[in-house]
Amino acid sequence: MTTQHGTLDNGWTGFQGVNSDVTAANTATTDLINILDAVEVPVVVLRRDFTIAYFNKAGADMLGLSPSDIGRTPRDIPVLAALPRLEQQCSQVITSKVESKVDFRDANKWFVVRISPCMQSDRQVTGSVLTFTNVTAFRSSIDQAIYERECTKAILNTVADPLVVLSADQRIQSGNRAFYTMFGVSRDETQGVPLCELGNGAFELALLRTQLEEMLAGSRAFQPVEVDHVFTVKGPSTFILDAHPLSFPGHSERRVLVTFQDITARKQAEAAKDLRSEEELRRSEAFLAEGQRLSLTGTFSWKVATEEITWSEQLYRIFEFDRSVPVTLGLIGTRVHPDDMPMLNDMIDRARAVSDFEYEHRLLMPDHFIKFVHLTAHGVRDSQGRLEYIGAVQDVTQRRLSEEALGKARSELANLARITSLGVLTASIAHEVNQPLSGIITNASTCLRMLSADPPNIEGARETARRTIRDGNRASDVITRLRTLYSKKDLSLEAMDLNEATREVTSLSLNELQSKRVILRHELADDLPPVIGDRVQLQQVILNLLRNAADAMNGVEDRPRELLIKTECDQGDGVRLSVKDAGVGFTPQAADKLFEAFFTTKSDGMGIGLSISRSIIEAHRGRLWATANDGPGATFAFSIPCWRESLADAETRLNWTDPLTGAA
Amino acid sequence: MKSHPERSTTECPLVSVVDDDESVRESLPDLLREFGFAVRTFPSAEEFLASDCVGPTRCLILDLAMPGMTGPELQQELIRRRQAIPIIFITANRDKTVRPRLLEQGAVECLFKPFRDTDLLDALNIALRTN
Repeated sequence: MTTQHGTLDNGWTGFQGVNSDVTAANTATTDLINILDAVEVPVVVLRRDFTIAYFNKAGADMLGLSPSDIGRTPRDIPVLAALPRLEQQCSQVITSKVESKVDFRDANKWFVVRISPCMQSDRQVTGSVLTFTNVTAFRSSIDQAIYERECTKAILNTVADPLVVLSADQRIQSGNRAFYTMFGVSRDETQGVPLCELGNGAFELALLRTQLEEMLAGSRAFQPVEVDHVFTVKGPSTFILDAHPLSFPGHSERRVLVTFQDITARKQAEAAKDLRSEEELRRSEAFLAEGQRLSLTGTFSWKVATEEITWSEQLYRIFEFDRSVPVTLGLIGTRVHPDDMPMLNDMIDRARAVSDFEYEHRLLMPDHFIKFVHLTAHGVRDSQGRLEYIGAVQDVTQRRLSEEALGKARSELANLARITSLGVLTASIAHEVNQPLSGIITNASTCLRMLSADPPNIEGARETARRTIRDGNRASDVITRLRTLYSKKDLSLEAMDLNEATREVTSLSLNELQSKRVILRHELADDLPPVIGDRVQLQQVILNLLRNAADAMNGVEDRPRELLIKTECDQGDGVRLSVKDAGVGFTPQAADKLFEAFFTTKSDGMGIGLSISRSIIEAHRGRLWATANDGPGATFAFSIPCWRESLADAETRLNWTDPLTGAA
Repeated sequence: MKSHPERSTTECPLVSVVDDDESVRESLPDLLREFGFAVRTFPSAEEFLASDCVGPTRCLILDLAMPGMTGPELQQELIRRRQAIPIIFITANRDKTVRPRLLEQGAVECLFKPFRDTDLLDALNIALRTN
């Protein structure tokens, strides 16, 4: 067989058969060429020696070919040269007569090059035909799809909870990494396996299967299912299974996404927390009970509308009722001290209206023991607006008794002190008075004898009578100038701050004043200059004034028992301290006698306090006086010279006179 | 009321009064003279001892508490000097333990001020009898 080469306008050189009619063959070839040119698919034909035999219009456009490229090899064409194994693959095609494909990329275009054997009618391969298909769009969408798929896979694999996709017949299609890891299985092991066979029957739950069926059928939404199981690899676990149908447009096949939420740890923690909080609750209850016991406080709740009363254990103990006894207001009443019953009834009546109450009352126990209780309650309204009281009752008997005992002891001590000092004073007075008294009696006795003499000694009698009168006056003087409680040699003079001395006295007296319900106020001047004096004696005076003021307010009920103690500079280089009370005050007639020895308006006092106080103040070169207030009560004040004035005397002793004898 | 008749000074026994209290020194002598005694007064034990009355004193009316030498101290001093003068103590201090002690130590009497004139007279009579 011989071959003939023909040349066509566009460079086609085809192999023609021996018996072909050239004209017919030419016509056929031209038609073919026209068709090929119309086709948008680039076509290039290579001969067995890889030289370019033909290319169509599209091929020329794509590869930038011109007729002069006929006879060149792909290596001469830039685009084709980029296909590294093109010639190799072409020869392979020629040899095997099987077409193959190769991908290549030109700039950002993707192509698939199909290499087909160019066969003659006698099945001789004369070359290879290359057709280029632009798969850019396809490819990029593939890429995109691949990308997204990979992204999704990455996300799914990152998710800690296992996910698995089931087919409509509940077989495993695919799972994420967590799924395979958690159950210790591989993709191959589980592919196509029914879910219920997984985890050695863990998911063989009728409930699960039914639910999945119903969901897939679209009849019901899936309710999460809790599964407890001991897995071979994982151990005892608890999962919540949830399922979602997956369907995509264009796909009739339904799939299910099943999520597994591992709540093993959470359940353990909850159990532990429950245990802990149970334990904590028990502990706090125990603390509360113990606290109530130690503090002798019981708690109660009282639902006013239903009269339902609940007591804590301690409250039963306080009232000495058995715990099994139901508590009613009537029962409580049997323990309340009869004298306090009216108060209780009044409280109950008012309680239905107010929101808080607090008061103290007594209980009378069956053995006649009296208890003092302090009760506080706070009203709350429940969701229906009904009033309920929550309260506490404290047994304050001990405190009350010890307060009373303390109060008694204190007053006894005070009495004793008064009596003792009184005893001392009385003895010293007695001693001092006895001297002139003795003189009186002696003189009077003498007088009588003289008058009875025969003849009567009138002159002598007159003389003795005179002496008697004189001694009588002396005795009176002695009583007037009372000796102070402290002997002369105990005096200690110092420069002192009267404010500080006052504060000491008031802080010591606070308890006493509070128990008398006296409200003590201070107005102590900031710039008070120091004074020279005997600290203890001046404090005695302040104490005396304080006590008198408190005593004066003893019966006052209609106004606050206010006591104001005030220090200030006195005009003329002095320091003044005043004590103002809101008590009974004094009448003008009493005003003159206030400072007299033994004068008292008190039923139980000797009234020597003020006279001694005046002596002390006068010994300090000061003065003590009293004025009636504008309102109720009186103000007692003393004024003593301050340091400045007595600076001149600082070197020498203050001119001290013994208040009793008048001796310096 | 008994009163002694007037005696001449040579016949009147001497009573010395030692007391720092002026009213005592003022009032006692007249009473004692009404009793018929001669009287000398001294404001202190020291002055009595320094005087010339120690010998002639038939009875000593002595205050207990005095500044300087006290009554009991004077008593001791007289004993030391072998001048056994009967002593009547007078005191304002009503301490119950005082009197028995003083009597034990040789005093004739211990009177508490103010004392009745009759009590003083009785004591004086006893004192003079024992002389």
